[in-house]
Amino acid sequence: MAETKNDLANRTPRTTSRMKRKDLTGWLIMLPTLLLFAFFVWEPLVESIRLSLYTAKGIRLEKFVGFSNYMKVLKHPDFLAAFSNTFVYILWSLIIGFLVPIIIAVLITETTHFRSFFRVGVYFPNIMPGLATVLMWGFFFRPGNTGVLNILLDKIGVAPQIWLTNPKWTIPLIVLAMTWKGAGSTALIYMAGISNINPELYEAATIDGAGILSRMRYITVPSIFSLGKTLLILQIISVFQIIYEPLVMTNGGPNNASISIMQLVYNYAFRDYNYPMAAALSVMMSIVLIILSGLYFKITASKEN
Amino acid sequence: MKKTKRLVSMLMCFLLIATMLVGCKKDNNTANTSKNDTPATTEEATPTEAATDTPAEKFQLKLGIWPEDTLPDDIKLHEGYVKTFNETHPNVEVVPDHYKYATDTFVSLAESGNLPTIFETWYTEPQKLINGGFVADITDELKARGWDTAMNPSILNLLSKDGKIYGIPRDGYALGLMVNVELFEDAGLVDANGYPKYPKTWDELAQTAKTIKDKTGQAGLCLLAKDNAGGWHFSNIAWAFGATLTLEKDGKFVANVNTPEAIKAMEYVKSLKWDYDVLTPDPTNEDWGTGFVNLGTSTAAMYIAANDAVNQPTQVNGLPVDKLSLVPMPAGPGGQYSLSGGTPYMFSKDATPDQINAALDYLEVMGKAPVATDDAIAGMKADAQNKNDNGVPVIPRFPCWVDQKVLDAESAVQKEYSNVDMNLYNDYFNIIKADGNLRLEEPGSAQDLYAELTKVLQAVITDKKADVASLMKTANDNYQKLLDENVNK
Repeated sequence: MAETKNDLANRTPRTTSRMKRKDLTGWLIMLPTLLLFAFFVWEPLVESIRLSLYTAKGIRLEKFVGFSNYMKVLKHPDFLAAFSNTFVYILWSLIIGFLVPIIIAVLITETTHFRSFFRVGVYFPNIMPGLATVLMWGFFFRPGNTGVLNILLDKIGVAPQIWLTNPKWTIPLIVLAMTWKGAGSTALIYMAGISNINPELYEAATIDGAGILSRMRYITVPSIFSLGKTLLILQIISVFQIIYEPLVMTNGGPNNASISIMQLVYNYAFRDYNYPMAAALSVMMSIVLIILSGLYFKITASKEN
Repeated sequence: MKKTKRLVSMLMCFLLIATMLVGCKKDNNTANTSKNDTPATTEEATPTEAATDTPAEKFQLKLGIWPEDTLPDDIKLHEGYVKTFNETHPNVEVVPDHYKYATDTFVSLAESGNLPTIFETWYTEPQKLINGGFVADITDELKARGWDTAMNPSILNLLSKDGKIYGIPRDGYALGLMVNVELFEDAGLVDANGYPKYPKTWDELAQTAKTIKDKTGQAGLCLLAKDNAGGWHFSNIAWAFGATLTLEKDGKFVANVNTPEAIKAMEYVKSLKWDYDVLTPDPTNEDWGTGFVNLGTSTAAMYIAANDAVNQPTQVNGLPVDKLSLVPMPAGPGGQYSLSGGTPYMFSKDATPDQINAALDYLEVMGKAPVATDDAIAGMKADAQNKNDNGVPVIPRFPCWVDQKVLDAESAVQKEYSNVDMNLYNDYFNIIKADGNLRLEEPGSAQDLYAELTKVLQAVITDKKADVASLMKTANDNYQKLLDENVNK
């Protein structure tokens, strides 16, 4: 994400004259980075497009087969499940994950006492390693008498639940765990956005007799609206690439109820050693992501104008 | 001022690029680095340069089968093997290079030429590794030694492709039912002599499991449903109900998953969850390893497992050595079968014939080869002693070699070092000698079959209302699609 913002900065209008000596120094400074990027990012990208068009032994290319790897991926029994699940993930992440940071941000901004305490508090889950978070939630959601949530429920006399093993609830619960981890950092961005709002607006509104709800409706929400649009696209892009949460918590189960496209890529590559198919699916996925990123640039550009 | 600034920045850039290029320089000392990686304790094990009468060329033998650092006794055992080995092979430098096969590390190691000369892999992998061109063809080396004819033919088949041999068995296995004797005792399911009254049929298994659950509160059976191991175990259950999951017609494979027999088997598994409720809390999170955790820590009383994994519940998970029993797979209306296969040793595609031969010689020293030399017998004894010290049952091996001398030597060593009451194992070893009991895994594309079956397993144990017949039909269609796509051509 940091890179995309830098790219954006580079696009600011520039005098369209010949290359200046100043530019040369700039390019020289960038050269090592560019070389590293070319070697570690761009070359593998191009290589994986090539790989997706061939059959291979391991990663050694064998024969050009055109788009047959793509057809194989589309016809694979797990593809449809993974594809539709990805949208279910996005849907739930919008329902659960999108509003939570906004609410947190607004609540913390409205708080007078212990504000920094809460600010640190909501950010806290973020400093945990992702895998540790997922494993921890795995223990929480364990069915039977040994799951943490079931132990707690037992104290108030509720029967043990099966949590993740209920196919209908698998994805929402995974999204819940992701939100627990990620909401804090997004909330910080919203808080920064809110603190940029001119306090005089609030004062004027309060004097005019506006309560907290109308202050939010007429001042806060319109002010962070464009920020919200940006973060929405970013969230969709990142949820699209979800892998390790379902991989660790459910291994894509039960009966493919939580398998994601990225996990399918992982399965092709690291379970089946079928790298061409993994590459083909990755390429398809990146096309979708490129479209979404284009949308992101369009929205952020219109925001700046 | 401005000029110096520019000069400095230019200089910095140059430095950056220069250091980067230096970093890219090819390192020819890889051999030395790998040597440095080995634990200090093994230093003494590397060969002394004395006794070099034969002016043979020096080379390295990287042992992926070296034990991991957490098993000091096993390392000592191997240090002893290395000493014996170097007496006859002074020109070979043995490099401990422990490699635990894992699908996410394997290909990068293989493609970068960093695989150890010899390594262990899973029973599921040989054909995949052969197809990917990751392993060496060792046909010539085996033929020269006559080992190709000494191998159990069904295992030979698993490790070969187009008449070429790519691996040799570390152990053969046949699935049975592992029993936690402690839980059987707690549930009162023991006979007058204290031996567990284990279930002979799948129906009995459900009843036994229920008794255990009622009396002890622990799961009766640990069923796997997290990954392909679930389907692997299920195929064995399905056979007992009379199912055959893949047919072969005119050289093509036909999925045969939605037969009444297979559906009945799946209904049976479903009943274990919803009628008897004897499984662990979350079978969809149980895999091969957690199954042994459950069995070894007495949270499950029975588990489908094989003779080559008796160290898992005991040494790894702490079950006392005399509290483990291995009994036959239960019978069903369709008969009684034990799924069998082999855990293979395979060799890096980059290994030279010299290295392969050295590795095979090392296996001789370990007593894992089809020879009964003094060294080999000493190796078997050392291994048995080590098992004794670590609370691992010393039981007969599955006959992966057919050479009678070797079999005799093995059974003599096993008897000498026996540390368990063989009554807890005899029924198992008798049944796998019975005609038609051993069965190799399903042909076609076993892993795809397992993946589809695992999905059905997950569905039936998480959904009480799951429609088994329609799930099995979907699995059948999917499996057929994958067969047509990848195998039937």
